[in-house]
Amino acid sequence: MITRYILRRFAIGTVQLLLLVVAVFFLIRLLPADPVSRFVGLNSSAEAYAQAERNLGLDRPIMVQLGHYLGLLPSEGPGLLQGSLGTSWVTGSPVATEIAGALPVTIELLTFSFMVALLVSVPVGMLAALRPGGAADKGVFVYSLFAGSQPEFWWGLLFVYVFFFTLGWAPAPLGVMSPLTSAPETVTGFVTVDSILAGRWDVLGEVLHHYMLPVATMVFILSGPIIKMVRQNMVRALASDFVLYARCAGLPKGRVAMYALRAAMAPSVTLIGILYGFMLGGAVLIESVFSLGGLGQYAIRSVLAFDYPAIQGVILIITAISLLVYLALDLIHAAIDPRVAY
Amino acid sequence: MRSRVTLALAASGGLAFAGAAAAQDLLFLASDVPAGLNYDGPAAAIPTSQTGMVNVMEPLIDYAAAGTNDEGITTPEFGQFEGRLAESWSFDEASLTWTFNLRQGVTGCGGAEFTADDVLYTFERAKSVSGAAPIGWFLSNVGSIAGFTPDVFGEGADKSLGAEVAKIDDYTVTITQSEPNALFLPVLTIFGLYMFDKEGMEAQATEADPWSHDFTNNVGMASFGPYCVERWTKDDEIVLTANENYYRGAPAIKTVVMKRVPQSSNRVVILRTGQAQLVQGLTPREYDSLRDAAGIAVGGVAGNENLFVHMNFDTPPFDNPLVRQAIAHAIPTEQIIQNAYFGQATVWNGHVPSSYPGYHQPERQYPYDPEGAAALLAEAGYPGGAGLDAYADALQLSYVAEKETTLGPIVNAIATALRGLGMPVDLNPIPQTQYGDRQLVKRDLPFAVNDQEKPIGVDAGYASQLFFVSPESGGLNNMVNYRNPAFDGLWAEARVEADASVRDNLLAEMQDMLMEDVVWAPVVEYKTQWAFADGLKGLRWYPDNSVRFFDLSFE
Amino acid sequence: MADASLDDRAGAASTPRRRVDWLFWIGVGIVSTVTFLAAFGPVIAPYDPTLAMHPPSVPPPSPADWPGLWWGRLTGEIEAAPNWFGTDANGFDLFSRVISAPRVDLTIALAANALSLGLGIFLGLIAGYYRNVLTEGLMRVSDVLQSFPVFISAMILVALAGRSTLNIVIALALLYTPIYIRLTRSEVLTQRVRGYVEAARALGNPEIVIALRHVLPNSLAPALIQSSVTIGFAILLTAGLSFVGAGVRPPAPEWGLMISTGANQIILGEWWPSVFPGIAISLTVFGFAILGNALERRYEG
Repeated sequence: MITRYILRRFAIGTVQLLLLVVAVFFLIRLLPADPVSRFVGLNSSAEAYAQAERNLGLDRPIMVQLGHYLGLLPSEGPGLLQGSLGTSWVTGSPVATEIAGALPVTIELLTFSFMVALLVSVPVGMLAALRPGGAADKGVFVYSLFAGSQPEFWWGLLFVYVFFFTLGWAPAPLGVMSPLTSAPETVTGFVTVDSILAGRWDVLGEVLHHYMLPVATMVFILSGPIIKMVRQNMVRALASDFVLYARCAGLPKGRVAMYALRAAMAPSVTLIGILYGFMLGGAVLIESVFSLGGLGQYAIRSVLAFDYPAIQGVILIITAISLLVYLALDLIHAAIDPRVAY
Repeated sequence: MRSRVTLALAASGGLAFAGAAAAQDLLFLASDVPAGLNYDGPAAAIPTSQTGMVNVMEPLIDYAAAGTNDEGITTPEFGQFEGRLAESWSFDEASLTWTFNLRQGVTGCGGAEFTADDVLYTFERAKSVSGAAPIGWFLSNVGSIAGFTPDVFGEGADKSLGAEVAKIDDYTVTITQSEPNALFLPVLTIFGLYMFDKEGMEAQATEADPWSHDFTNNVGMASFGPYCVERWTKDDEIVLTANENYYRGAPAIKTVVMKRVPQSSNRVVILRTGQAQLVQGLTPREYDSLRDAAGIAVGGVAGNENLFVHMNFDTPPFDNPLVRQAIAHAIPTEQIIQNAYFGQATVWNGHVPSSYPGYHQPERQYPYDPEGAAALLAEAGYPGGAGLDAYADALQLSYVAEKETTLGPIVNAIATALRGLGMPVDLNPIPQTQYGDRQLVKRDLPFAVNDQEKPIGVDAGYASQLFFVSPESGGLNNMVNYRNPAFDGLWAEARVEADASVRDNLLAEMQDMLMEDVVWAPVVEYKTQWAFADGLKGLRWYPDNSVRFFDLSFE
Repeated sequence: MADASLDDRAGAASTPRRRVDWLFWIGVGIVSTVTFLAAFGPVIAPYDPTLAMHPPSVPPPSPADWPGLWWGRLTGEIEAAPNWFGTDANGFDLFSRVISAPRVDLTIALAANALSLGLGIFLGLIAGYYRNVLTEGLMRVSDVLQSFPVFISAMILVALAGRSTLNIVIALALLYTPIYIRLTRSEVLTQRVRGYVEAARALGNPEIVIALRHVLPNSLAPALIQSSVTIGFAILLTAGLSFVGAGVRPPAPEWGLMISTGANQIILGEWWPSVFPGIAISLTVFGFAILGNALERRYEG
């Protein structure tokens, strides 16, 4: 039963991705930008322009370009079907390799941020829910409304000014480790994991130190919607019949709270998943402020340089991961909430 | 301020510092790491890529050093060449043939020895025009090397190297020109004709890619330069290690890490914490702020960088010389030097870098004079700007968006001044790529501020052919569509003029013409600057503005 | 920047009625101030916000000097208005720019929102009322649109189409329309089985009249409430686009652009060019969030 469900979701997801790829492919080509120009460089002759156009494959009919990109024309070289995202026009390296280098940073940033944000927000949200309308609840309510509507890049800059420039507590906003540190051997691509695997505890400490400010900025922004959501779900759970019954039955307070929490978490999980998928692309600005070199910065670079294969690759990967996360969360949701059936 | 930075060092540097930065290592921060090391590849026009190329490759000849300026920067002596991979050379005027005696015992990173075959390979590869941007071919063409004509681009054209570059023996090659051309030696100093190591390159060739473009675009380089590529992660860092067998002696700095730090303010911060020893590409404001910082030196040279206002002859109202003159007189040059360059610039009085051989300062100048500008505008038929609303699109002042921090104060000062004359001027920041396309290929930018045209061939004639000769007569980057048959005629004479003083007179006459016609409105020449740890010595300026790490050492 | 569509509306129902009206009035105060500035900001600004007429990078006067400066201004002793917020690296008066910015920011946000609201309600009504292959297709398309990473997509659209106000409005509208389609459609789905629809049908009203006259007005609320929140996020998105260089063109007075210009100076200790516009965005978006939340609670409760 569940296998069939997963398979169906995969099928739908693949179709959705395919549509998206084709849509993005045409969309960026419809827009009035001329990517050939940057390769002409010092030599502006018409011959050189034509040569550059040929090298990029832009002289071919658009359907042939699409066919090549999708991998339907194996004679022209590998495409999506063969697992290739194409070659970056700016660097000449495979887009897949470049994304594989940038993606782990974004995932680490998001994972740390969500972990910390949940650790902070769940207790706060619960506390607020215990006495709805109390002073603590009001304060939490205003805070969550405020934090949820802030320009994160500005807060990032403020944090840099205060914690790096003025107080000197944080390292300079330049990526996940000092430029002079030799990175641990790449195994997974995740620097934290790799440094643990290599036993490089000094590097691990340094990386975590560098993640401190970006994670703090992100936690501040994320805590708004998460607290609000936990609080609402908790209030609802506490007011529900089964908690009332548990109370009447004289169960210990802690036990009742655990029941309520479990009931409150199920809907929360889905929303956190959506938020995670959203932030894959939404971390762009924070990555930019702290020069983290993640997927978002890669996206900025690609967009501003009109690097079409890279743009297509970024959108494809972000969407694919979001879809996978949604699927995983639906499965978790089902595990937590016995009412859900497939 | 100082104590804060010390604190930051204690907090952040403490951890990172352990074990790093021996006296022989250098951390160099730039806006990017090389996106490619292949000068015929897609990344060749990017300055940071050129920095990679010039450090791992080697030219046949280069300019000799002139001396050191008062900021400690060594400058070149244009017009005096010294042998690098070529030990000596001679020219036979009758046959237009240059004979190069190559240096013996030169060993590259891969262990191969430099011979005539490497020279032949380099020109053969250039003539194959197989890369994304055939710069090797282009420079050979500019230097009038026989056979390097636009014909090679034709479908099925012969792209193989003929007798124009010939091997006499293992250490002697001849290169033949199609006509006398004073630009021959200057183009050989440019990165786009640096030598490859044939053996090392061919080891990386594949059937689909016989000229190893993929290898040099993405992986490394086979040449005879002072440094070898140790590790290269695009968008992150490139690590170069000294070529201990380098023929001019093993480099003093053994390891160079060139690290990408996109925001210039971040480069400032790391330099201040002492983690980096050299940074480039800061804004003038940032260089200025570092001048008083402890342990940091700022050095600069009045090289070949400048800023001008570009007005397109094909777009009204700029086809009217009075309008161009009015604009030239309205530019608040002093204000720009003080507010945007913090004094590190001087008024530009011509159309060619004043440091170049053949530069001439015309009589006619356009100093800041708002009243005069208003009068000229009225004379042009637009008193107080009346009637210019019809050209609102043309009056959008374009500039490269990525340079907002540096150019922002300048374009705003100019726009404010012109709006003071009643001209409806708006700003139009566009991405570098788009700017390049519209300037170079489409040539349809009506009105722009440009600070990135440094003619890489060090010669007033090269600059003229590049920027001012009409496109029909072979002008390559005539972004304003200036068409003056008299000017083209003078250049046709000067190009093949063998007598240097006659040539200089022709070039001077041409430069007077440019100023008379306000082809560009020259604004300032600004210093090329670096900020570095004050123990770092030996910085030398080259016309491509790329640092050679070989020149550097720590005190 | 959190997703505007994340509001768990079901949960909001249980929000107890509290005396937080002061908060509501703060929201109203902020939003009306911003609206007032959008209308009159450039008029009451002491200087033209796009003319570089001042020495660059001058810090704001210290708060202790403010009363004196005010008094001097009122009595006419000081002829030129002081640079209350200092000046930026271009020599612009920051105070004039901060108060002129709502005209740009709010206009973009309102226009994008109006466009997507109109389109979203129309399509949502059709998709909810007429359920057939076409409308199912519409929903799938809107699914695909909604799965685009919002910020990156907006960046692509604006960077490749050209940095103009119109392109920003279109990009934002395109990205926000699916939210309104979804909200309206689900409301229509619950309304169309209500008794009054049956009644209208029994009276012989044609379907189109029922849809437009009866179902539509009753299905507007969720979309309208959402729009207050969306306006706030549109302001954030506009500022974010400017920050990475894919937004409005300089020297337009726009908060994100001002922060971006000032970002490089923070490291030199010059905080004022980015801090004042930052406070302005922070408060404005907060104001819209408060208002949206208050409206939501009134509707639910």
